[in-house]
Amino acid sequence: MDSIKPHGILRNCMKFLLLAMAAIPAGADAAVVVIVSAKSPITSITAEQTARIFLGKTTSFPNDGDALPIDLTEGNAIRNEFYSKVIHKNPSQLAAYWAKVIFTGIGRPPIELASNEAVRKAVAKNPHAIGYIDKRDVNRSVRVILEP
Amino acid sequence: MTKAYYIIAALGTFAGIANADAAGTDQPMFIFGGFGSMGISHSSMGSGDYVPDSSIPSGPGRTAVWSTTNDTRIAGNVAAQFTPKISALLQIDSEYHSGNSYQPEVEWAHVKYAFTPEASIRVGRLALPTFMEAENRDIGYTYAWIHPPVEVYRQEPITNSDGFDVTYRSQTGEWGNSIKALYGSAMRPTYASPVPSDLTSRNLWGIFDTVEYGSTTIHAAFQQRKTDSGLLLTGQGETLVTDKDLSAGVQYDPGDWFMMSEWILRESTYKTSAMYVSGGYRIKKFTPYLTYAQNSLGSFLPGSPPPSQNALTLANREQSTISLGMRWDFMRDTDLKLQFDQVKLSANSNGYLENVPANVTLFGSTFHVISAVVDFIF
Repeated sequence: MDSIKPHGILRNCMKFLLLAMAAIPAGADAAVVVIVSAKSPITSITAEQTARIFLGKTTSFPNDGDALPIDLTEGNAIRNEFYSKVIHKNPSQLAAYWAKVIFTGIGRPPIELASNEAVRKAVAKNPHAIGYIDKRDVNRSVRVILEP
Repeated sequence: MTKAYYIIAALGTFAGIANADAAGTDQPMFIFGGFGSMGISHSSMGSGDYVPDSSIPSGPGRTAVWSTTNDTRIAGNVAAQFTPKISALLQIDSEYHSGNSYQPEVEWAHVKYAFTPEASIRVGRLALPTFMEAENRDIGYTYAWIHPPVEVYRQEPITNSDGFDVTYRSQTGEWGNSIKALYGSAMRPTYASPVPSDLTSRNLWGIFDTVEYGSTTIHAAFQQRKTDSGLLLTGQGETLVTDKDLSAGVQYDPGDWFMMSEWILRESTYKTSAMYVSGGYRIKKFTPYLTYAQNSLGSFLPGSPPPSQNALTLANREQSTISLGMRWDFMRDTDLKLQFDQVKLSANSNGYLENVPANVTLFGSTFHVISAVVDFIF
């Protein structure tokens, strides 16, 4: 254990980490909101609970109701905003996460729809569904449960 | 080689038919994918080969100045969901191993039945989740390093077992827990010094637990098995040795950076331990990282018979490594990594160097390894 003492290197690395962290600016404005159907009993959710549902770590809402996550397709700006703000993963971290989960047989990613409107319609129809869309696309068929 | 392709082709044909039947449902029945890595590495130590895994017969150093065999592989994977309760997984890997070839092998093939969304049983060839990155150790794209830290991950040469496991996932508030019990057997050829051998393990069982809270993951495992490495250690034919592994790890990954550490205690005819600590920071598409890893000298249990020369060689592999590297996510589903390792062998140890000539001792030496790899998923 004590044959090598990399303390100098570790200290320099920590300095570098702290400097780099200080240099990261606050996130740009984005209007992503997490929604459920207006027919759903869910009124609020935490970012952590949302993350667990979208990463396939749970299949139910905190109240034990079944949860069906619906994603936007890759490359969508709202999708990137959602994963950056709520799940804290960029597109390559997310791809790495799903590679691990799919290739080890643990699970599979949420179904994907191509537009905010398509997600809103699918969520509105299904009381178990949870999705995220641009705030401007919200209407009375869905309920906003998290504004990250 | 051809047999593996027939299996894939047959499954592909089946998938085409099945998917047509399943039209209208939300999820496809089959997900076809794969992953691979193309690596090259160089070691400044010319008297032995630097290999990250005991199943690799040769590597950079003595056998070659530059070598592509350590971190090059390709794998195909089919994940099937037949019904909400029944799923299956097949993974075929081609990497450099016994017979100096890339002959594909079935890494995993199992069927899973989910009693509930929380409880499931799997039967077939299963991954052995000794470590946090054990199940995905071949999928370079899923972690920052070139390969998981050698000192720790080489402690467990077996990556899969044939048998069954039972998993129960639970959630309490924001805490997630997954506990698994596994039973099976395994056979794996190894090239570890001093003599290559087929390491057969029977009555392999283990308990594996993973706890998640926010950005923190904690993993703990205990596993035990009977191996015929007794032949190697004692020179007596039918001697089976009980191997016990206790491992634990913790990872904190809030997104912009990560820190992780894992430890293992092993006991067979001797006791040994290993640990690493690693951290990295993500700056846009770049992830610089730093790792320190070490394993300890094996100590023979008091009262055990005097160890053979082979056993001494196996037990005395103490070394430590400082690794500095960078991952660059330069295009979609593809990364490029560069890593520099400084490896220090302890006094009286040739470390994990392989193919060192019998009369050569490299005790106390320090050497460097430079590696580059491109990882991809598809």
